[in-house]
Amino acid sequence: MDFVLTQLAGFGSSFVWLILDPITYAYLIPAVFLGIVFGALPGLTATLAVTILTGFFGNKFPLDQALIALIGAYVGAIYGGSYPSILLNIPGTAASAATAMDGYPLTKAGKGASALGITTTASFIGTLFGTFCLLIFVWVLLLISQNIASPEKALLALFGILLSGTLMSQDLVIKGWISGLIGLAMAMVGLDPILSETRYTFDWSYLLSGFQVVPVLMGAFAIPQIMDGMRAAIHLAKAPKLQRIRPEVKEITKRMPVILRSGGIGTGVGALPGVGEDVAGWVSYGVGKAASKNSDEFGKGSVDGLISAEAANNAAIGGALIPLLVLGIPGSPPAAALLGALKINNVIPGPTIDPAVIMHVVAVLVLASFTMFLMGLFTARVFVTILRIPKTIFLPVVMVLTTIGSFSVGGGINDLFLMAGVGIVAYAMNAMHYPVAPLVIGVILGGLFDETFRRSLLISDGDLSVFFTRPGAAILLTLNILLIISQIPFLKNFFGQIFKRKNA
Amino acid sequence: MEDKTVLRARDFWTSLVLMATSIFFIYKTTDIPFFNTKSAGVDVAEWYNSAALVPYGIFYAMLILSVVLMFVSIKDGGAERALSLMGLGFTKDEALRITSVSAILLLYIFGLVPRVDFIIGSALMITCLIWGFHKGDQKSMLISVGAIAIASLYALIAHFPRSEWTKPHDDDWVTLLVFAALSVVMFIKERRANALDKIVKLTPVISILVPTILVCAMAFGFRQNVPNRQGLIFSHIEYHYFVTIKPLWQGQ
Repeated sequence: MDFVLTQLAGFGSSFVWLILDPITYAYLIPAVFLGIVFGALPGLTATLAVTILTGFFGNKFPLDQALIALIGAYVGAIYGGSYPSILLNIPGTAASAATAMDGYPLTKAGKGASALGITTTASFIGTLFGTFCLLIFVWVLLLISQNIASPEKALLALFGILLSGTLMSQDLVIKGWISGLIGLAMAMVGLDPILSETRYTFDWSYLLSGFQVVPVLMGAFAIPQIMDGMRAAIHLAKAPKLQRIRPEVKEITKRMPVILRSGGIGTGVGALPGVGEDVAGWVSYGVGKAASKNSDEFGKGSVDGLISAEAANNAAIGGALIPLLVLGIPGSPPAAALLGALKINNVIPGPTIDPAVIMHVVAVLVLASFTMFLMGLFTARVFVTILRIPKTIFLPVVMVLTTIGSFSVGGGINDLFLMAGVGIVAYAMNAMHYPVAPLVIGVILGGLFDETFRRSLLISDGDLSVFFTRPGAAILLTLNILLIISQIPFLKNFFGQIFKRKNA
Repeated sequence: MEDKTVLRARDFWTSLVLMATSIFFIYKTTDIPFFNTKSAGVDVAEWYNSAALVPYGIFYAMLILSVVLMFVSIKDGGAERALSLMGLGFTKDEALRITSVSAILLLYIFGLVPRVDFIIGSALMITCLIWGFHKGDQKSMLISVGAIAIASLYALIAHFPRSEWTKPHDDDWVTLLVFAALSVVMFIKERRANALDKIVKLTPVISILVPTILVCAMAFGFRQNVPNRQGLIFSHIEYHYFVTIKPLWQGQ
């Protein structure tokens, strides 16, 4: 209990310092607004919002200020995705795909405004829940992470890539793994981290420093969206008129157990390396349906279904930041963009991270969720109006934003060329149902995996037993092996039959 | 989800590309010392510390997965449909549309951004995308691609070397003329078709205002590097910002 109180006291001082600084509001309010707009416009994602802002802030601003804008946009965008999901049945972001299941039927029943109000409140409480878990668990895990050495780090990085590939695949799981391998391969370009041997540079000096994270993120998340948005037929969105958005306190109090359960699930799924808010939303929706007494109402306009998805995807933000701050392994693609921003500012997440940075992140998350809540309740009509902007107008603007953001991060024109190349590859991958998130996770974790894997072998003189004689490494190795063999069709069928027999 | 056989037909081609890529990079990895890594006659690394170890693992894993993908694709009938465009799930119209979007984006990034004033180049790209794709009219789309191709290829061919990229050149004027011509063509065509709506009227305004605001915010607000500071319009903006506006602010 003392530990929790100490954390709350530390958070309190950070929070007070933050709310007393007028600069906070100059960054936070536009960032949350921009985030909600990015989330609300179908085709634009939370990752893109955070990445574009990373390009704008670069390393020319103090990290404290940059984090206010980036986290504000992250929170806003995850919430903003619920607008088109509820009002138009078009998920604004992948994270709010599950929201559409019950949100749109509620709109069709004339309860769109109340659905938005409940969503706003659930997202707000979900974010606070995830943030509270971040505040507590990040310190516990930081203490544990001091015992994590190279073998565990290598296996955890591999687990992150495999898990992301497995859970993000819409088609065959091997497509997710191939995507992760492409990302890993991209991370091999440049000077290797131990011997400084050049790899795949093709005598181009720009490649010596490897692929930069920000242009890769912009290429992976902006270019395919622009190409796809322009290719698809244009439909001008007609959002319904809204009545009272503010929800009844009684209604929220009644739904509090569902909100808290979804917050817990969202935080847990968010904390898994490389998985993110969209999986959190679906898992929570599935659990909510299984646990509900009125499960037959799910998909037909159930308020519990709506809350399950929305509270979870926002709670996943706090969860996704736990592995990021503890190990430098992003819990979601937008967290990967945040990692890019931290790296640009020479902040290395892990056991040596400055505790003030963690407290600042927590304080910004809380303030951002309050800002999101107020904007959601009082300016929702503005965002509904924004939904009417056709894709052909905002996507070219996003292209300019992406271009100038990518150019400014550091590598200049070469970064732009990299962004274009990654964008074309990512578009082709999207068209063939390869998830792009594992590629990004692979690019980010590839360097860590390469370095820690080889360092483990170097320390043990090439003895592979280093990966299973340490308890932590043995657990992670088992998880990796189980993850792989669980996808082999022959074994999948075998275990499926065993479970069926047991259930019978 | 799209028809599974369409996906499998695409998977067939992807698996071939992945196999070729894996084999090429396995071959390239042989350039990196693996066994007996020596420098000046001294052993510097063993196999387990070699820079080639992880890349070999990655590319062999990719090769194995691409073989599995090909096997799945053949089993599900993807190989039989792989040779037809329809089998790949693209109609001719769709293929033309996506080729046009790709062409506009690539001509913008590789031709215009490095060489031409950012505001003018972006204005042309925005006009091409909005007018070319908003109503789904194929003629507008092809005119847009043609327009950006003229400006971009001129800049690319006339000022190809990197040493010439940031210098002020006639390519700024050529792009500006193409942008003006495209805007005029757009208005004439839409007026003749009796389709001069709000979006058409707003297109030139958006095209000029958006990149101007963004580049100014980036250069003067966020103090970041921006493309082509010597460009036709931006060089004037930058000059007046530092010589006229900033001293006024500072009360000089």
